Amino acid sequence: MEQRLANSWRLTVNEKKFIETALLPALRIDGRRPFDYRNLTINFGKHDGSGEVQLGQTHVMAFVTAQLTQPYRDRPNEGSLSIFTEFSPMADPSFEPGRPGQAAVELGRVVDRGLRESRAVDTESLCVLSGKSVWAIRIDLHILDNGGNLVDAANVAALAALLTFRRPECSLGGEDGQEVVVHPPEEREPLPLIIHHLPIAVTFAFFGSESSVVIDPTHHEEAVTGGRMTTTLNANGDICAIQKAGGEGILQSVIMQCLRIATVKAGDITEKLKKAVDSYNTERALKKIKRHPSSTLMDVDGAHSNSREKQSPPAFKKATSEFPSHHTRKSNKLENVEGETNSSEQRNTTKNFIGGPSSWDPYSKGVDPDFLKASLALRGASTASKKQEVSKNEKMHGVAKLEETTKDVNEGFLPVEAAQAEQPTRGEKTLKDAVKPKNRRKKNQSSTGAS
Amino acid sequence: MSDNQFVDQLVVPGDVVLDLSSMANQTIKLGGGLRQESDAISVTKAGKLRLSKPNKYWVESSQKRYVPSVEDSVLGIVVDSRSDNFIVDIKGPAVAFLPVLAFEGGTRRNIPKFEVGALLYVRVVKANPGMNPELSCTDASGKAAEFGPLKDGYMFECSTGLSRMLLRSPPCPILEAFGKKISFEVAVGLNGRVWVNAASPSTVIIVANAIMRSESLSVAQQKIMVEKLLQNLNIST
Repeated sequence: MEQRLANSWRLTVNEKKFIETALLPALRIDGRRPFDYRNLTINFGKHDGSGEVQLGQTHVMAFVTAQLTQPYRDRPNEGSLSIFTEFSPMADPSFEPGRPGQAAVELGRVVDRGLRESRAVDTESLCVLSGKSVWAIRIDLHILDNGGNLVDAANVAALAALLTFRRPECSLGGEDGQEVVVHPPEEREPLPLIIHHLPIAVTFAFFGSESSVVIDPTHHEEAVTGGRMTTTLNANGDICAIQKAGGEGILQSVIMQCLRIATVKAGDITEKLKKAVDSYNTERALKKIKRHPSSTLMDVDGAHSNSREKQSPPAFKKATSEFPSHHTRKSNKLENVEGETNSSEQRNTTKNFIGGPSSWDPYSKGVDPDFLKASLALRGASTASKKQEVSKNEKMHGVAKLEETTKDVNEGFLPVEAAQAEQPTRGEKTLKDAVKPKNRRKKNQSSTGAS
Repeated sequence: MSDNQFVDQLVVPGDVVLDLSSMANQTIKLGGGLRQESDAISVTKAGKLRLSKPNKYWVESSQKRYVPSVEDSVLGIVVDSRSDNFIVDIKGPAVAFLPVLAFEGGTRRNIPKFEVGALLYVRVVKANPGMNPELSCTDASGKAAEFGPLKDGYMFECSTGLSRMLLRSPPCPILEAFGKKISFEVAVGLNGRVWVNAASPSTVIIVANAIMRSESLSVAQQKIMVEKLLQNLNIST
């Protein structure tokens, strides 16, 4: 008993009184004004459907996963959405491991109500086979640090994760068309969820004596507050849910004022969320560029770099492959271009193995000076997106993509082998050229000579 | 001597900072964070090694937890009151006891009444590992000497290193810079708690936030920050 007393944070009488007196001239202890939000940052994880939100000191992570299950009897055509919250003991000394406490259940319920009752996530599109098989979406919210106002942060995290989640595509197969076939992501591109609007939670805290209202309370303010209200609404001005969690009685006029302020704040947060999701999606798209297999057969002689360039933009598709390029003639595997040619051998990771000898190189004829000039010219003419790639991947990828024959990296594709064989020549010359034309030329000649 | 390299440097547990085999007939005094293993003095706590001439060595470290030690002045929060002592939380591993008679002129007739959550400036009298520490609201000679309850103001928590820096003499640059322009009072507990009070809440908020941010700033940076904050304060008031 005494041990527990020693470990928790305590509120002093002084602090309580100070927070309330400071609110009279509209001052908050961290220097914010009453209706200012803290800094909101949204990050995404490596996998689709994971979002991490930081609101000041508060830190929340959300993960979205999906599973095929049987639907509810009374809703055979709809998928389901369920939310699980975990209040990690590292977030706050008062959080205990094990079953969710009252606050955890309330948080889960508020987020759930905002998403489900307002029909933000389209559940009918989650139906695969009516009455038999639907997708059940599960959102896991992990509270990592409790700096106050967990509901708002958890809501934004859940939305961020839902917006970036991709579920596998599935089709009906089998003899009678009743079997559900789930396609792995390599086969068919996974699909995003259909989300109609974004319900944003905005929390207000009320301080007893003077009817002061603040938005986004910190941990200390929450301990002092007399009452709390969470409004969930979207940028269109629709109110999705209101939760008033007990405490002081509030005048109707105050509630209306809060709703008006919340609409403005929800608009801001929606903007930020959309921007973050957009930039994540563009990055994701850039990583998965799918090349057409047909173009590899056309550009066999390697002189028409321009035509190849034309093919690359239309071939800009999302695919699950990384761009392969061969620096070494020795390895048989597709490798990522990660660094300088010499060290790339050790550092490259094998993504997809495509059979076929890469040491067999019928097209090697050393460095083609015309080609070299064309590659340098192309580098200047590359599109903005490709330039992004270039900067990201140490300037090798961009030119590699332009110069490389476009590829479809699905396994077992015959044209790929031709492309692959052709690749070493192109890839090596252009990649090296991209970085140091003069030096690389000598190295090229020596390496091509060695093969 | 090997210690010359290590003084005022960051050391980690396991570093051997003194080799006694080379120093015969000398008395060395070891403070916290150091341990003698036959002929070698090694570090047990990460921090900066300090030397006070001629022969006192110790390791200074900063952390969020407080380990109670005797004669420290700390800020405690009253958690409960019993018949013979108050239970006070001083951010240590165990709650501390403050005897009801440990006040200047304290008798059974005039026992002070503290509500739960009252903030007290107290002195640690006994601190043994495994036992609850004992506190007192008087100094060693029995006088009140500023100990006792603190009224109003705002208390925040910081690391032990920052509280030691605030209690340095000559005074730390941030308190000095503020003190030249505005009037405020501050009580610093070695257990990582600081209490600030001033006439207006905005002053309190500015001083408190400035102190919280000053731990990692150098002297010059602290002065610049204080100047900027004072400018804002003067503009707004």
